[in-house]
Amino acid sequence: MWREILSGVLIVVGLFILSVSVYGMLKMPDIYTSIHAASKAAFLGIMPFLISAMLNGNPAVITRALLIAAFLILTTPISAHIIGQAAYLTREPMETEGAIDESGREGSAESAVTKAGD
Amino acid sequence: MPALMFNLALIWLALLLLATILLVIRARSTMVRLLAADVLTLILVAVLVLFAQREGAAYYLDAALILALLSFIGVIAAGRYYRSGRPF
Repeated sequence: MWREILSGVLIVVGLFILSVSVYGMLKMPDIYTSIHAASKAAFLGIMPFLISAMLNGNPAVITRALLIAAFLILTTPISAHIIGQAAYLTREPMETEGAIDESGREGSAESAVTKAGD
Repeated sequence: MPALMFNLALIWLALLLLATILLVIRARSTMVRLLAADVLTLILVAVLVLFAQREGAAYYLDAALILALLSFIGVIAAGRYYRSGRPF
């Protein structure tokens, strides 16, 4: 009995986190802030589903769910990093209010400051 | 009771899938589109895990694992291609 209740609660938690993630992707103004909503929340949204499937006690399900969890833990940060790097290197504009590029490369806010200092 | 809960959860996930597909179609830039496609596969993995739980069958999770793997490879290849004009 408690297993059914716990798995239902976990499914609701996962649905809530996934909904927040998709809402964040719809609302965030540029790619650099969308990555936060997408990678963190989407990954955290899958975990409750996997744990809820593991509660079944079936060993075949548990091993596969553990594999999926481990694989997602390894790959979600890497793909988010690749997307952010590609967006930054192709000079995707920062639309967020008050956002500044402090890297010091050509055209960024920091390089404008150093040029004014010279 | 559990079957009703699974069906409601699947309907809610289908609505999320619809929203993400709209985001892929109408995204502001290529990278947002790629990110939305990544989230799309994650939601599909969630759908497959729910199916595995509802049917009590483990083989849906194989499909979920392979989908996550292919999505990772696809995002890496597309991101690097967009950045430097060649995948690797």
